[in-house]
Amino acid sequence: MEVKFVRESGEVTAYLIGRLDTPASLEIAPQMNALEEDAGGTIILDCTDLAYISSSGLRIFITLRKAAAAKGGKVIVRNISNEIRSVFMMTGFLNLFEIQ
Amino acid sequence: MKKLRNLKALLLVIVAAVALEVTALVQFYFSQQGLREEAKLRAESELNATSFEIMDIIDQAEAAVRNSVWIAQWCLDFPDSLERVCERIVSDNPVVAGSTVALVPGYRADRPLFSPYVCREPDGSLKALSLATAEYDYPSQEWFVRPLVQGEGYWSEPYVDEGGGEMLMTTFSFPIRDAKGTQAAVLTADISLEWLKELMGRIKVYPNAYCTVSSREGHMLISPSATQDPKSLVFDTTVERTGWTISLVIPESDIFGVLRRVGTIVGILQLLGLLMIILMLQSFVRGERRFRELDKQRERIAGELQIATGIQMSMVPKTFPPFPERHDLDMAATIVPAKEVGGDLYDFFIRDEKLFFCVGDVSGKGVPAALVMAVTRTTFRNLSAQEDSPGRIVQAMNDNLSSMNESNMFVTFFCGVLDLANGHLRYCNAGHNPPYTLTNVIKPLPVEPNLPLGIMGGYEFKEQEMPFRYDDAIFLYTDGLTEAENAAHEQFGEVRMEKNLHGRKSAQAHLDVIKKDVQAFVGDAPQSDDLTILFIHYVPCSHRLVLKNSVDQISLLPAFVQEAVKASKLNSELEGSLNLALEEAVTNVVLYAYPEGTEGDVIVDAAVTDKALTFTITDTGKPFDPTARPDVDINAGVEDRPIGGLGIHLVRQIMDDVRYERRGNKNVLIITKKY
Repeated sequence: MEVKFVRESGEVTAYLIGRLDTPASLEIAPQMNALEEDAGGTIILDCTDLAYISSSGLRIFITLRKAAAAKGGKVIVRNISNEIRSVFMMTGFLNLFEIQ
Repeated sequence: MKKLRNLKALLLVIVAAVALEVTALVQFYFSQQGLREEAKLRAESELNATSFEIMDIIDQAEAAVRNSVWIAQWCLDFPDSLERVCERIVSDNPVVAGSTVALVPGYRADRPLFSPYVCREPDGSLKALSLATAEYDYPSQEWFVRPLVQGEGYWSEPYVDEGGGEMLMTTFSFPIRDAKGTQAAVLTADISLEWLKELMGRIKVYPNAYCTVSSREGHMLISPSATQDPKSLVFDTTVERTGWTISLVIPESDIFGVLRRVGTIVGILQLLGLLMIILMLQSFVRGERRFRELDKQRERIAGELQIATGIQMSMVPKTFPPFPERHDLDMAATIVPAKEVGGDLYDFFIRDEKLFFCVGDVSGKGVPAALVMAVTRTTFRNLSAQEDSPGRIVQAMNDNLSSMNESNMFVTFFCGVLDLANGHLRYCNAGHNPPYTLTNVIKPLPVEPNLPLGIMGGYEFKEQEMPFRYDDAIFLYTDGLTEAENAAHEQFGEVRMEKNLHGRKSAQAHLDVIKKDVQAFVGDAPQSDDLTILFIHYVPCSHRLVLKNSVDQISLLPAFVQEAVKASKLNSELEGSLNLALEEAVTNVVLYAYPEGTEGDVIVDAAVTDKALTFTITDTGKPFDPTARPDVDINAGVEDRPIGGLGIHLVRQIMDDVRYERRGNKNVLIITKKY
């Protein structure tokens, strides 16, 4: 699992690459939680190369989403695979995030 | 000891006898007193009445004389008219039989002795006589002398009148004085005492009572005609003026006769009663002795039976789970003999990856059945040690048991051999209740109508088979379960039994539920037959993964899931979501089952059948049922959404069946995806 952050003009894009299973979630949690500082602006979670997500990964997503809601920012989830879309559907995340 | 007991019994009889006797005597005494009192009262009242009657006649006679005294006085100067006075007395008073006026000798010189006498003849006419004869010498007679001496009326001693018909007579005589007061004559009235006899004869207060009358001087005037009873009660009264004593004699036999007869009967009854008490005591003492002996014997037999129970129970496998190292079998069994030892049996063991199992019911109960049960079990073990076919095992057992069956006992028997590698079940039923199979339906296993064991040697038993799949179970029982009766003699029956088989629980849980239900149904009614249950749940695993409780172990899951999905009929596209479900289930255990810092295993079994893929996640951590948690609300807004709880939600969403069981010290989560 790998995460790359790209910041430009007030937006932060996190490129999630690989499988976001429980061990991976624990691994990237500190980096991801640091994004809460940018929650006043726009955070884009790029899932183009995200193959898999478990509830631990979803926890990171919702934590960021709650921080954005508190600070008036927004979280955009970009390019999710069908598989991850079905997970989003099962968990009601489709209604919580702006999906691009 | 024995002597002492007999002595005690004897003492008891004596005390009872004395008590009875004393009571009877006291009662007898008081009854006698009562009767005596009554006799006294009756006698007194009778004597009073009689005395009054006598007085009445006496009074009449006295009155007849007294009323004529003045006329006799007046006639003293005309002695020849004195006869008229006598005549009047006799004619006017029927009680007076004769009367005289006797002049005192020398009172009149012309009549030195003068005593005209008038008496009533038997025909009623009056006859006049003179008593002034030389032979009679009236001045020396008592009736003449006494009134003159006493100067008042006098009743003579009764006497027998020799002149007039031998009658008992008495005479009242009264002195007559002339005008100067000189004693001049004696006026008399004779009365017959014949009526007295008749009066006395009338007194019959008791059948044999009689009266005697004696004179003032003690002469017996009226005496009994019959012989006298020496034991009699005598009551007396004295008649005034005449000085007679009337005695009423009542024989004791008349007074106490009834009481004595009753007393005799009561006495005899008491004796009979005592005799019966003695006999009863004797038989009681004897019975008690026998009872003690029997009691000792029973205690000895009970002790032996207890040992026998222990031996018998040690013959059947009693440790559950029986194969803790295996995860493909969940088994439970129970045997409840109606008596100390019983004729039911179950048995099982694994050889060459095959589960050999059986249930049997020996005809009859108690020790004989228990012996046959022991032989049956031994024979089963011996034969199944080499033989794999249940049909051949049963056939050989039958030949064996039939050859030595002299007591004509038989055994209904079910024998099964489950190939644990592929779930192939072969079985042979020898007249036993068909077991129930729990697959996707619950129904009795189809069985051939074979004979029970021990009836006919050489009989050919037909073997049958059925495929067992993942999560299938078989429930074997003896008729002690279905025929368990409550106090109203209703039977537990197959319907009630079947109800308890619904839903998959652990084997032990199934057993406990049924035992509880039977107990509730039977209540306090005594158990009539041995009751045996054997429950086998088949949960084979084609793949197993043993993980440590560490998060990085979760990376091992994708390869495991891939393999399982490949083995199943599931589309490989489902691999990701199945992996997600399994990861969520395992993560839960890895993170929360064991206390922090301690190591523990998480066993993941993947079972593939032709209907579904099932993952079973087992751990020995603290009891935790993830399915008990309320599902998250996926429609909640951002602020209301909890961060956790998505894991089990995803498992539920992805899998078709999610089930939690607590088996012993294990948490077992079974999640199934159907094809």
